[in-house]
Amino acid sequence: MSSDEDFDPHVLAEEEFIEEVQSFEFWFGAVEGYLSGKSYGHDPEAVDLPMDEVERDRLITTLCHYCVGETAALEGASGLVSLAPNHPAKIFMATQVVDEARHLEVFLRRLNDLGVEDTATEIQRQANPALVEFKDALLKLVASGDWDAAVFAQNVILETMEFTVFRAHARTADAVTAEILEGVISDERRHFGFGENDLGRRLAHDPAARARLRDVRQNLDGLVLGVFEGALADLEVPASDRHVLGRDYLETVERLGLTR
Amino acid sequence: MTTSDASTSDASTSDASTSETSPDDTHSRYELDETGFNEVPKKWRKFYRHWGGPTDKLARNEVICPVCKIVIRSARELQPGDKLYCMPCMSRMVVKEGPDGHLFAEVIF
Repeated sequence: MSSDEDFDPHVLAEEEFIEEVQSFEFWFGAVEGYLSGKSYGHDPEAVDLPMDEVERDRLITTLCHYCVGETAALEGASGLVSLAPNHPAKIFMATQVVDEARHLEVFLRRLNDLGVEDTATEIQRQANPALVEFKDALLKLVASGDWDAAVFAQNVILETMEFTVFRAHARTADAVTAEILEGVISDERRHFGFGENDLGRRLAHDPAARARLRDVRQNLDGLVLGVFEGALADLEVPASDRHVLGRDYLETVERLGLTR
Repeated sequence: MTTSDASTSDASTSDASTSETSPDDTHSRYELDETGFNEVPKKWRKFYRHWGGPTDKLARNEVICPVCKIVIRSARELQPGDKLYCMPCMSRMVVKEGPDGHLFAEVIF
């Protein structure tokens, strides 16, 4: 066997693949690739260019929304560790807890950079009520022990939309914020991918569960979609980029058979 | 020339060092090099690359992951029915052929 074949991922058995990509070992090797040498998600030598007050206030508002979303995912993922139905899923969810804590930390630090000293008060003041409502609903699903519904809410609805918004934002953001977002985007790829694939496998064995997830979708996706559509408009993301927010998410729910 | 060089061009137009046909396999083989994709551990990195958008023409050993839009690369020319994994988003997929002959990936659970 050549060295290429030794490490060809496409020849792995499905169980081997899942154990590999959901492992802490994989996580270490992945984040090493894009986070090593960075401090709080960006080049420590990077210099902030001057930002006018309107632009700065707009960015603070957006980062406050992001912090609410990341806090929801941090608290949700930590609760999901105990609900995970198997060891690889437990281990993956633990890596997600670490990722979400890091995201919250880098966004809080960015708020500090922008002159916000009391971040907790600022986030509470600016928090979008719809996103707070989503967070409460997610944590209720976790508390009820409903793995499928909570993973759908957190890793599919929230993470898919965050991924799309962060990508669009990174294209227009100042250099430091863009670099922070790029690192978060790389993490999000694992999170929404885990959600879709874990649920996809489970729904293949339990198609009846789709009805419950359609209800979750009906109750929750509008909350997140509205917030992030507003965020993209506030960030003056071109309309041509904004339409992908709903499109990427709809493609996911369609693959899962959750469209009505 | 490697597939990293060929990533925006059709492999069929690549020079002889890009691919070769092994005697026991009708699929052309590709020597993969890293292209800067760094979201998976080092040993897997050459199997993935960032997609450059609609003008980024895929080689015959490449398809786009429909879930995360990363380009998945194989060491062999792809054919319908081949199974692939997207490690960055943990998806498993099968290669299909569109009506115009282009290859695409469909997620399987």
